Amino acid sequence: MSVFLSSPFMHNIFAGLAQGIIYSLVALSLVIIWQSTHVLNFAQGAMAMIATYIGMTEIDRGIGYWWCVIISVLVGMALGGVTERVLIRPLYGKPEINPIVVMVGFLGFLEALAAAIWTSTTRNITEPFSQIYFKSNGHLVFLSSFIIFQIVLAMGIMLSVAALFRFTKLGLQLRASALAPEVSRLLGVRVSRMLTIGWILSAGVGAIAAVIIASGNFGLFPTDMDGIFVASFIAAAVGGLESPLGAVAGGLIIGLAEQFILAYWSPDVAPLGGIIILVVALMIRPQGLFTKNTIRRV
Amino acid sequence: MDWFLSLTRQETTHSRLIAMAFLTVLTLVITFFLPPVADSQLAGGAAIAIVVLGLSWLTGWSGQISLGNSGFMAVGAYAAGIWAHHHASTPLVFTFVLAIVFGGISGLIIAIPSTRLRGPYLAGMTLAFSAAVTPLAQNFTSVTGGEGGLFMNSLVTPRWFLHFFSGPNAAINASAQWSADLAVVVAGVMFFFMANLFHSRTGRAMRLVRDNDVAAELMGVNLARTRTTAFVVSAAYAGLGGALYSLLQASVRPETFPIGLSITLLTLMVLGGIGTLSGAVIGGIIYSFSANLVAHVNSLTGVNPTSNVGANMQGIIFSVLLILTMLFAPRGIVSLQYPLRRLFRARPATPTPKDVHL
Amino acid sequence: MIRVEGLSVNYGAVRALRSVSFEAPSGQITAVVGANGAGKTTLLRTISGLVSPQSGTIHLDEVSLLGLATEKIARLGVGHVPEGRGVIEELTVEQNLRLGALSSKVNLAEGLEEQYARFPVLGDRQRKYCATLSGGERQMLAMARALIAKPQVLLLDEPSLGLAPQVTAQLMKAIRQLCETQDLTVILVEQNAKSALRIAHQALVLHLGSVVASGDAATVAADEDLRRYYLGVAVS
Repeated sequence: MSVFLSSPFMHNIFAGLAQGIIYSLVALSLVIIWQSTHVLNFAQGAMAMIATYIGMTEIDRGIGYWWCVIISVLVGMALGGVTERVLIRPLYGKPEINPIVVMVGFLGFLEALAAAIWTSTTRNITEPFSQIYFKSNGHLVFLSSFIIFQIVLAMGIMLSVAALFRFTKLGLQLRASALAPEVSRLLGVRVSRMLTIGWILSAGVGAIAAVIIASGNFGLFPTDMDGIFVASFIAAAVGGLESPLGAVAGGLIIGLAEQFILAYWSPDVAPLGGIIILVVALMIRPQGLFTKNTIRRV
Repeated sequence: MDWFLSLTRQETTHSRLIAMAFLTVLTLVITFFLPPVADSQLAGGAAIAIVVLGLSWLTGWSGQISLGNSGFMAVGAYAAGIWAHHHASTPLVFTFVLAIVFGGISGLIIAIPSTRLRGPYLAGMTLAFSAAVTPLAQNFTSVTGGEGGLFMNSLVTPRWFLHFFSGPNAAINASAQWSADLAVVVAGVMFFFMANLFHSRTGRAMRLVRDNDVAAELMGVNLARTRTTAFVVSAAYAGLGGALYSLLQASVRPETFPIGLSITLLTLMVLGGIGTLSGAVIGGIIYSFSANLVAHVNSLTGVNPTSNVGANMQGIIFSVLLILTMLFAPRGIVSLQYPLRRLFRARPATPTPKDVHL
Repeated sequence: MIRVEGLSVNYGAVRALRSVSFEAPSGQITAVVGANGAGKTTLLRTISGLVSPQSGTIHLDEVSLLGLATEKIARLGVGHVPEGRGVIEELTVEQNLRLGALSSKVNLAEGLEEQYARFPVLGDRQRKYCATLSGGERQMLAMARALIAKPQVLLLDEPSLGLAPQVTAQLMKAIRQLCETQDLTVILVEQNAKSALRIAHQALVLHLGSVVASGDAATVAADEDLRRYYLGVAVS
């Protein structure tokens, strides 16, 4: 058993899942916003990056790791709420390319701002979890406390989000506002507040992903989230952008696929891996692999 | 800019040719009075204006949006660069055609799966493409030269042109001016083609598709083919612009084409006004002199240009301008010649899943 | 009680309502009848704040509803069952009902029990997704969802649309019963003037946005001219 666990194959599985779960988190955050406001938030990654950078300045002042996580998430949520109110709200009812352009502009702004304030260098958090692989009977098992922490934290967040939507009054109102805004208003649901809450929630989930990346070996660079965003968008699009479960599954698929292309094919073509998967997935099911509604034209 | 619009609006190919030739010659004359530094900036701006025009055509006329045009630029630039690196003496026209063809083909490859998508999906797909281009160029070192890129020496100032110059810096001045003139002529030709395209059957079909794709389909317009055409033309323009831009710099490197460049292109298009020739001209001018603008802002605000803030000032200014223009003047800083009324038509106050068509 | 005075609504150049005035007292059904495009739906949407009027006033008892947000008006006790019922198909019957109860202070469990007692078929299907419901069941759910919040006013937009005549008759009887037992103010918009006027206390006839007749429902129903000119073939 330990021989199997220490095989290169299992190494790729673990590494792919660890990376994929980050994509899943960001993809989930994209789906939350997409469902409520039909905006694909191109600045999602950059917002998470800024939030984490602010959290990291606090850790420099000597607060503990977990406080840094909490601050990053809270800052991310605040940023999400403000963004919806200031940048997105004026664009409801406008053509769909307007919010795309504005959020692309916001992406550029946040990245330039981060580089201006914190310089274009990698920053990381000294994580409380070891990155050294476990050993079992003398064989290396390609799991570390950090990878376990990463997967458990991400799973915990995703399950909490699922529980929120499924079991709480707030979740019911969020879903109703996304499905039928006018009817929801007639029933007394404060729909515009729900849209803001959707953004807040989504940005918080995104911030967790950036915190995890910043805690890892390679830290976080101002434009690092571009690649994460692209992979996560592909994950969400493969899942159909409508389905939270599809986004999570899509993230894991992309993470594993990237790892296996890297390991078994050629690292040179790895950048194209995501696109190839997206193209193939869209050819098979243009509406997304996990979307029930087959009539919707994509 | 109304004079420009009325000139380019001429109803016949012949009159458009005269109008474009007139404007090109006018710009050429202006380059004689500009200092060499400004000439170099203008040359870069002309190359970028070609790319912006292609993007503007795609967004303004076919209603599609692309964040991948920096990627198409890279494809054209590498196609031209790899060729020119090995065959420096090839006529420039051939190198440019190569860039157009490769740009167009890359556009076709992206367009085939993408034209079935709309709006956010398409934007995300093209972003994924441009994000993949830089690492690909870095990885395939044997072909692309990797990080260091390739050098080419194709823009040689002809001997007869040198006669116009004298003094200690004659060669350098002549070279800057020659580059600018060449870029302006290439841009003039591409603008002329686009002016004709705007007035062609394809152009009209494009607007119909943008405004009401169902009606267009009923009238016998092939939606997928029309959208694909728009994409290929846009990518070909980006390919040529990228090649010209790299030839002007005498090198092609992966770092010239980051995702940020696509954001810059979007900004220039939106500032100038989506879907117009004059918008692309204005975008090119803004790009040409953005360094001066940034230096001005830095000195006004007392920011040290070599500091972090100073180094990122352009990114900050451009993105803020993009956001503000889109929020408050989505038709750009000039009024549009071809009003995008339908593109910017009001939709119900809150988005409802049922009426969102992707 | 709902009191509307001088209400005018324009959609661009189109005048949807022209100086409409009426009073809908509590414990009574006020039927609003008229042909397609007469402005009936616009009237209800304006009361609910979905459409803002050019001029006029709307009062719920002594509270002005003008300029209030739709959700605020709903929370003040105006239940609105929109055209096409507005049942959220992707949610279950019970989730729809819970949504209706959220904005009021009523006890959810009691409310659900009461509605299931009133509409037993909903109790049978409480865990079913609404996409599986029939037209009549959807109408019941939409009414139950409005009633669970214990509203003072119930705005019903074409409840009989798409229902079989027998179902319509049952529905109308239920509306009349509700109105009297709960002391509700009911404004009933119907194209099916015949069945609406049969259960209504008073009636309002709209034509091209203007009130052309109003008064006792029986009187309106008996008026030959009104029937011929404004109510069309629906009344025979």
